[in-house]
Amino acid sequence: MDCCTVQAERRLMPPLRELQAAIGGALLDGPTEAAAAQILADRLTPEARLDIYRHHVFTTLTAALKATYPVVCRLVHERFFRYAADQYIRAHPPAGPCLFEFGSSFPAFLADFEPCRHLRYLPDVARLEWALNSATHAEEFVPLDPMVLSQLPEDDLPGLSLHLDPSLSLLSSPWPIAQIWEVNQPGADSKVVVDLASGTVYLEVRRIGADALFRALDPATYFFRRALNQGGCLADAAGVALDTDGAFDLSQALRDLFAEQLPVDHAASTSGPQEG
Amino acid sequence: MTGRDAATAGVRAAAGIGLRAPHVQEVITTCPPVAWLEVHAENYLGGGPALRSLDQIRRDYPISLHGVGLSLGSADGLDSRHLKRLAALVGRVEPALVSEHLSWSVTGGVYLNHLLPLPYTEESLEIVRRHVDQAQIALGRQILVENPSSYLRFRHSPIPEPEFLAELVRRTGCGLLCDVNNIYVAAHNLGFDALAYVDALPPEFVREIHVAGHARNDAGGLTILIDDHGSRVSPEVWMLYAYAVARLGPVATLVEWDTDIPSLDVLLAEACVADGLLYGAGRKTPHAATA
Repeated sequence: MDCCTVQAERRLMPPLRELQAAIGGALLDGPTEAAAAQILADRLTPEARLDIYRHHVFTTLTAALKATYPVVCRLVHERFFRYAADQYIRAHPPAGPCLFEFGSSFPAFLADFEPCRHLRYLPDVARLEWALNSATHAEEFVPLDPMVLSQLPEDDLPGLSLHLDPSLSLLSSPWPIAQIWEVNQPGADSKVVVDLASGTVYLEVRRIGADALFRALDPATYFFRRALNQGGCLADAAGVALDTDGAFDLSQALRDLFAEQLPVDHAASTSGPQEG
Repeated sequence: MTGRDAATAGVRAAAGIGLRAPHVQEVITTCPPVAWLEVHAENYLGGGPALRSLDQIRRDYPISLHGVGLSLGSADGLDSRHLKRLAALVGRVEPALVSEHLSWSVTGGVYLNHLLPLPYTEESLEIVRRHVDQAQIALGRQILVENPSSYLRFRHSPIPEPEFLAELVRRTGCGLLCDVNNIYVAAHNLGFDALAYVDALPPEFVREIHVAGHARNDAGGLTILIDDHGSRVSPEVWMLYAYAVARLGPVATLVEWDTDIPSLDVLLAEACVADGLLYGAGRKTPHAATA
């Protein structure tokens, strides 16, 4: 590039990096003066011209959040959702270009968002929706052949870790989030009354075929699979499950794991015991 | 047509449609008579059913991968992870065309999910040149760069947009995607001559054309056209399109529709209009290019 031309340009406008930072800030609630100073006021003010871009950014991102969190939107109603989304986008704008990856921290944001703190189940419903979204877009995999295990020396089994289906999430909640999700689906029976005190739920979310699904697990199976999914070895995962339920059957749990085609790969575990 | 044939046959000078989620299943089931399909690359960078559908569709149609997130104009540089994912998708889909925009959306690690405008300066040209080179090397192929719709002008932007694009072509060997609706919208919003813009593009490097609908919004008594891809192509844009194909020759043309998406039939009918105008242009142009 011609350095004289660039130096001449410097006198006329800031470097592109600075200009883009100023516009980015102006679009996300920051001061607009620095960006506006570089824009022609041609029949319409620079601020009004920036508003056109801002409107598009917020409309697109709000629609993306709504597509990922339809039940949350229904629970709080559209207007409040748009308000919460607006605040969220300003505080946590996307860090990547794929809209289906935007909004991972929305559940945590809702947990701290004062205007809806009284809806204590809301963040967990949002976690369930995020898990379903992640399952939908997770990478495909080839299930691990169970024969692999029978070929390993028996002494290696306790220290073995199993990598599970990348679409898998395990989440528990003191609120009946599965039922809340179900009664807020289009066409669901609107007369159903959900008992918020019905007890903790333990859910497994994964993609089967083209569909992201969830189902309830018994607590021991839930903690066993969660420990494995967090990278824990078989011995640790079994330990956590046995702490939950003394009748936990490791052989059966392993058979179920393979029958459900959850394992993708295996490795000798290097991690220590996981928190239950 | 086998998958390999579909991928290497290129896109002939006929109309295609932007394939969006609500129509995917119908397209797989009914195989409608349309020459080619374009998808947004960023919707297929995960795994799952979307990608599986695309694997199926690419066996029957040439595919154009249209990127909206590479941010060729970001002074911060390209996101190497994104470029790698895009390269993997290009390897899998073997698209007939790959395109991106003359715009930016990333600053300080934040993605603004909009195609934001650049000042057309030597500095910008050098930055975009570097990124187009980088993308073409990473993807192992030519990319097309699309002119943006615009709602503002910078105080200092001395290079006219078509000249900026022509110079980018000269420096990188990229091709151009001429979005006729964007020209119409920007010409109205910024007050320039749309026909002169088309005249200033280097015709031999325009490999694809986009047409779409736009909305008319009132901003303080001033009508601003918004490139919302939410309606039929307006008669004025069809006229500008007819002018463009008369000048550029028949070029593969895409009908885009992204908001208030209608039934597939409506989209296919719009593609028929483009095909009719392309046919007319082909008859008038003795050396019709098949892009």
